[in-house]
Amino acid sequence: MPAPFDTPFMQRALVEALLLAGLAGVLGSWIVLRRFAFFTHGVGTAAFPGLVVAGPAGVAPQLTALGAALVYAGGVEWLARTRRVASDAATGLMLVAALAIGVVLASDVFASGAGVDRLLFGSLIGLRDRDLWLTAAALGGALALELTLRRAWLARGFDPTTARALGVRVALADRALLLAVAVAAVVALDAVGALLVTAVLVIPAATVRLVAPSVPSLQLGTAALAAVESVTGLWLAYELNIGPGPAIAVLGGGVFAAVVAVTR
Amino acid sequence: MSVRVHDLAGGYTAEVITGVAFDLEPGTICAVLGPNGGGKTTLFRALLGELPLRRGTVSLPARPAYVPQTDRTRLDFPVSALDVVLMGAYGRTPAWRRVARADRDAARATLERVGLGDRARRRFGALSGGQRQRVLIARALLQDSPVILLDEPLSGVDAASATRIEALFGELRDEGRVLLVATHDVEQARRWDRVVCLHGRQIAFGPPDETLTTDVLTRTYGGELVVLPGGERAIAVEHHRH
Repeated sequence: MPAPFDTPFMQRALVEALLLAGLAGVLGSWIVLRRFAFFTHGVGTAAFPGLVVAGPAGVAPQLTALGAALVYAGGVEWLARTRRVASDAATGLMLVAALAIGVVLASDVFASGAGVDRLLFGSLIGLRDRDLWLTAAALGGALALELTLRRAWLARGFDPTTARALGVRVALADRALLLAVAVAAVVALDAVGALLVTAVLVIPAATVRLVAPSVPSLQLGTAALAAVESVTGLWLAYELNIGPGPAIAVLGGGVFAAVVAVTR
Repeated sequence: MSVRVHDLAGGYTAEVITGVAFDLEPGTICAVLGPNGGGKTTLFRALLGELPLRRGTVSLPARPAYVPQTDRTRLDFPVSALDVVLMGAYGRTPAWRRVARADRDAARATLERVGLGDRARRRFGALSGGQRQRVLIARALLQDSPVILLDEPLSGVDAASATRIEALFGELRDEGRVLLVATHDVEQARRWDRVVCLHGRQIAFGPPDETLTTDVLTRTYGGELVVLPGGERAIAVEHHRH
């Protein structure tokens, strides 16, 4: 193990990065295939006000973040269902509202000691054991859903209008996937922050999607690439004294651009 | 076990189709004829139980299999032809189980039947339009339903695929299945056993040679119908919305 990973906080960061890579492999692939990337970014951002109030309220940040994320997801779904606002406009509207509320709460109401930067961009090196257990639980839940709903997600993604006629329980499968994505985004917040959730859950899958011939290869390739990018980003962050979230995001963006250039 | 539809009217907030009534015995191919927006796909959704019935009854021997238009599918999806056919077994496979070996064997045999046994591992999006249509028909065959609904299955397919698909229709009729085939092509409809003419409501139903009169076609297609010289043949001109 290289020197940067000798310390306990870096070892915890390493474990978290590998657990998140597993989540990226399982759920990131479906996020990209089902075109939920903007929703995922929105959920991560929407959790921001929840994180801000967690400290002053004395509750677990994951709990308030999940609450905020679910309010966001419900709001987007309700706005889209009323058909008075287009789905992408509803996502954008709720996203901006959540970010603005979070900033107001952080700066003017709670004067949050956590720091807006850390909430928005995360800190892989400030993790506690509880964070690792939560991420492990989220990964376990995602794997269980993958085993039971994989075929439904596949049929729904490939042919949205016909999946129900194939005997697939469409509504249940869709809601389970959105819930799993919301939970994954929330457990990734501590590590990469509200604004960079997509660096872990979307960018590696979008990169592998360019070359993967099948869903299993997409999932395995995504998990592997996310692990390499996260561990490398973590090492760079340690060596260069920069935030690990941004380091992972820049690295992921660079690899994506390189793969696009090579596969043109 | 026949397909019986009596005084059907359906729609979410208003009646999108109304007055549909027909009775199809096993071993029947029935054309569902009408212009774009005439209610062909809507009728199929009603038969699939996906559209609220506001009036009337539908009696089916089993849940129908459905073959959508190929442009409803995601061509960029990383699935093979065999993966797509296997979806036909999803409805009878418990969520926690793998698709049964018997269904996997049946999926390969079904691909052979539609002439694509050597394309099983080919990515669905890399197949030609006609081949993709045949894969979707194979998926419906794996569902093994006595009733199959096909939405414009011959639209835009190459001649070789069209010939094979129509020959397959004949085999399925001989097996005693009921096929409802949506089309806007009057000449296709003339080749099958029954025809339902739709334009928001049912205009006519019966054997094609008795049903497809100039009067019925005019009421079905309105201004989109062109009657050829001599008055014995008519073609529908589709006005696609862009």
